[in-house]
Amino acid sequence: MDISDRLKITAVEDIEPVLELTPELVQKRRSQGRIIFDRFIRNRAAIVGAIALILLCLLCFLGPLVWRADPNVINVTTVSSSFSPPSLQHPFGTDDVGRDEFARVMAGGRVSLLIGLTSMLMAIIFGIGIGAFAGYYGGIVDNLLMRFTDVVLAVPLYLLLFVLSASFTDHTPKSVIILIAVLTWTYAARLVRGEFLALKEREFVLSARTIGARNLRMMFRHILPNAAGPIIVNATLLIGGNIILESVMSYFGFGIQPPDASWGSLISDGQGFFDVGPWLVLAPGLLIFLTVLSFNLVGDGLRDALDPYMTER
Amino acid sequence: MGEYLLELQDLKTYFKVKAGKVRAVDGVSFAIKPGEKLGVVGESGCGKSVTALSIMRLLPHPPAENAGGSVLFEDQDLLDLPESAMRKIRGGKIGMIFQDPMTCLNPTMTVGKQIGEALGIHLNLSKDEGLKRAAALLEQVGIPAAAERINSYPHQFSGGMRQRVMIAIALACNPKLLIADEPTTALDVTVQAQILELINGVCSDFGTAVMLITHDLGVVAGMTDRVVVMYAGKVVETAPTDELFVNPSHPYTLGLLASVPRLDEERHSQLKTIEGAPPDLLKPPPGCPFMPRCAFAHPICRTMPPLDPVAGNAAHFKACWVDVNDPNEQAYAERRRQARIDKMLAATNGKAATTLTAAEEK
Repeated sequence: MDISDRLKITAVEDIEPVLELTPELVQKRRSQGRIIFDRFIRNRAAIVGAIALILLCLLCFLGPLVWRADPNVINVTTVSSSFSPPSLQHPFGTDDVGRDEFARVMAGGRVSLLIGLTSMLMAIIFGIGIGAFAGYYGGIVDNLLMRFTDVVLAVPLYLLLFVLSASFTDHTPKSVIILIAVLTWTYAARLVRGEFLALKEREFVLSARTIGARNLRMMFRHILPNAAGPIIVNATLLIGGNIILESVMSYFGFGIQPPDASWGSLISDGQGFFDVGPWLVLAPGLLIFLTVLSFNLVGDGLRDALDPYMTER
Repeated sequence: MGEYLLELQDLKTYFKVKAGKVRAVDGVSFAIKPGEKLGVVGESGCGKSVTALSIMRLLPHPPAENAGGSVLFEDQDLLDLPESAMRKIRGGKIGMIFQDPMTCLNPTMTVGKQIGEALGIHLNLSKDEGLKRAAALLEQVGIPAAAERINSYPHQFSGGMRQRVMIAIALACNPKLLIADEPTTALDVTVQAQILELINGVCSDFGTAVMLITHDLGVVAGMTDRVVVMYAGKVVETAPTDELFVNPSHPYTLGLLASVPRLDEERHSQLKTIEGAPPDLLKPPPGCPFMPRCAFAHPICRTMPPLDPVAGNAAHFKACWVDVNDPNEQAYAERRRQARIDKMLAATNGKAATTLTAAEEK
């Protein structure tokens, strides 16, 4: 065929586009959430931590549906039923009164995780409130709120924890949660205040004022989302810290009381029998270690993923 | 309502600092008619932006303080309004855009939400209605595929597009006045022209008055009806734009116009500047603030001249004792300029001579 024939345009070809712009060809824009997710996914350690956490939660919250042993049933009918080493019948063995340690670890895990999560939520919300007002308004408001924060920080944490739990709580998970939250909001408050101090001078806050936005809108719609990254990271790390706090409390007998279990109280119960049943300490101890490590790994991963200045690799 | 939409009367804004009071805006008066486009020019630090922020009451108190004067907007003194009423003015009656669109948009909100926010605050529109209007506004400021782009975040937009978004936000509630504080300084030259064209066009469509702050005289010439020239926190000259360029009557305006680079200039020739630097506003000199740099200065300039009409045009005012078009005055200024140059040359030559002799002695 002659080239002039090929270039000849028929009436039909003139109208029909040579290549339609199908959705597959259109440039894809990743959403902000997608970018952060992709960056998180690429961090091995964080993924390992996240998977470990999911498995731990499944174990503690859904495990009892499969493993139907009652954590509180005492079995002292034969000598061999107490301190029986790990076996198929009792994966983590049994304790001094013949209770199934696996079921007790799951029950304790529920309490520990629940306390860690909810006390973190309460502490973060309280910390955001204090920090936001202090940082946004500055001056005398800032001074009052921050000096109050300093006072809470200045008292030795464990001392306060033990004294208050001995005198004010009824050792239920609820009271332990409130107690831990009341003592751990301070770091979140300082962090949020710092973020607000920096962010309130940014120009987009000024331009929000030029459209007539109120102070509360400026604080919580414009400034707070921009501080979300550090807050989320802090929150993740705080869960691990709070689980430890709860364990310490229960270990010293100030937290959850028998027959209820938490990982801390399980270690406390088991430490007297370390020579005959080391699994009684090792099982809850390793789980605490694993959980806190996983939360920290996830927190680190989030820190990197949420940092807008991280360059794509 | 009076003749004017906005009328500044002897507005004074001072900043209290340790060393004293900085008189950033010191007795500024001018007015804008509905739909009029006013340019405010002057070099950096002469109080243009502070004037704009004072109108909107966006300066932090302290250190800023209102030291007198009034800002009449629709015959209402904005300086007397309670904060809640002022919020209704901001965004509702007066919109504002800033120099740097890269930092003025909230990076965590979609542009649609940010445009819709103003509508939600002032017109009580629901989120859906707000987004719908936002898309229409985005279309109006020339962003293609607006219905999809309202879900984009600012970082997905270029500088020019972000400034278009800022314009859409500022004009969302159909304000009576748009204050544009150097809206093109941070943009590419080609984009600058588009943005100015857009501001001009959209404001003409909406009947919005514009107060355009700039130090680019070319921008002023292209799109304003009237110009206010500011120096050291004071208005030194105001005139219809054509009149100002044809018949500049204040030595400072003359200097500004002379320092605009020209295309037909000889290559490699030195750019013209105004000698010296603006005065320290902590302790401004008595009388005319431009006197220390002015070639036309006379002893009478030690008292501040009033802003008086210039003969020949009733809309043209200047704050200067001297008639710069008088040939005698021009000759006088030329002599003074020459004397200053001679003095400088003598000083440098003298210095060179002394260093030479010092070297010889060694």
